[in-house]
Amino acid sequence: MNIAARITDIKWGEKSLISLYISVVSGVVIALQYDPRHPFYSTVSLDMLIPFGSFWRSLHFYSSQLFFLFSAVHLWAVIYNGAYLRLSMPKWLFLVGTFPASILLLFTGYVLRGDTTGESAGIIAEQLCLTIPYVGELFNSVLFAVSEEGVKRVYANHLIGLGVIWGVLAWDHLRRFRANIVNYGFLIVVTLSIALLWDAPMEPMQPGMSHISGPWFFLGVQEFLRYIHPLWSGVVFPVVFVIAVAVIRLEEPWRKRAVLFSIAWLCIYLVATIIALLR
Amino acid sequence: MKERRSFLENSWFWVKLFATAVLCYPLFRFLHYRIPQKPRLVKVNQQLLEGEVYLAPDFVLFQGETHAWAVSRSCTHLGCRLNYNEEEHLLICPCHMSKFTTEGKRIAGPAEKDLSGFKAEKMTGDGKGYIVTLIG
Repeated sequence: MNIAARITDIKWGEKSLISLYISVVSGVVIALQYDPRHPFYSTVSLDMLIPFGSFWRSLHFYSSQLFFLFSAVHLWAVIYNGAYLRLSMPKWLFLVGTFPASILLLFTGYVLRGDTTGESAGIIAEQLCLTIPYVGELFNSVLFAVSEEGVKRVYANHLIGLGVIWGVLAWDHLRRFRANIVNYGFLIVVTLSIALLWDAPMEPMQPGMSHISGPWFFLGVQEFLRYIHPLWSGVVFPVVFVIAVAVIRLEEPWRKRAVLFSIAWLCIYLVATIIALLR
Repeated sequence: MKERRSFLENSWFWVKLFATAVLCYPLFRFLHYRIPQKPRLVKVNQQLLEGEVYLAPDFVLFQGETHAWAVSRSCTHLGCRLNYNEEEHLLICPCHMSKFTTEGKRIAGPAEKDLSGFKAEKMTGDGKGYIVTLIG
């Protein structure tokens, strides 16, 4: 058995689900102290004042990152081993839809930090929405609206809206595939240990700051935004990747084309991310 | 006869659709409109010397030889908050590296427009400092 086959045999979906459980529980705990009227003050209070606040924030941060990473590997694994072919097209589309929902969940979490990364990410996301013709303003009103409402709507979406969307899209899948938390003691211990050992990142505003890095998964887009119009680099470019992944479920020759396109897209995105990291 | 009735029915459908669209138009225009923000007066309780710079969350205030002026700190590319670079005497966007002169003129980077300028008045009498009028 080759290495790739061994990797795809690992139950990434179950790991992702366990990480999601931890993320949800820690997120609910944080929400009891977090105040969206004062995002940065709230985050600093969690880190420095509230007993175990830093631990709960770190646990939420790292478990959410693991949830996203495991989901991404799970997606790659089911495409690689052909398991996705057992799904009908509508079911596949629903599950592909969980991918942008996960990214938005992660992204809104960064915005809620209210530090330089979060504040800038929120403003940029708002401006990107507004570049979309006709429906941009509606999208922005529903998702962000940070310049008018602060993080109120982002908070509502992070806590409820996006979670519900993710849940609806994944509902059928989760009814059939479940993860028993007892079997994942090691993963839980590792996640708890990471949260105990490393604080979740936080970047306070400094007057002379010459460079702000966005969330790691957004770095490629941030790099493209320097050269290409925001509508193309920040909206169309990410959306075509999601469409390409959705198209993978179609019959040949579309399947092969979509796979090749997705791989090329990921390579380009990786290069852009590396360039952004080196800045 | 049948064709005529069908034609009339179809026409009636389009008339209703058109009427609905006409009625919706004022509603969409009404909902779409954003009332411009009221001008906001911000007090800077600090007297700047010539060449000194004051960074507020929404603007940067400069004191020149003869007068003071203020420009927006919001980058015209995607709205990130600009920082003042003392070495280059420029306002630089930390997100995508757009650069602006202290007068707000765009000189480099992905931003296409200049920065908005705001009125900055020196306080007279007992008051020390400036009043900056933020618009938009």
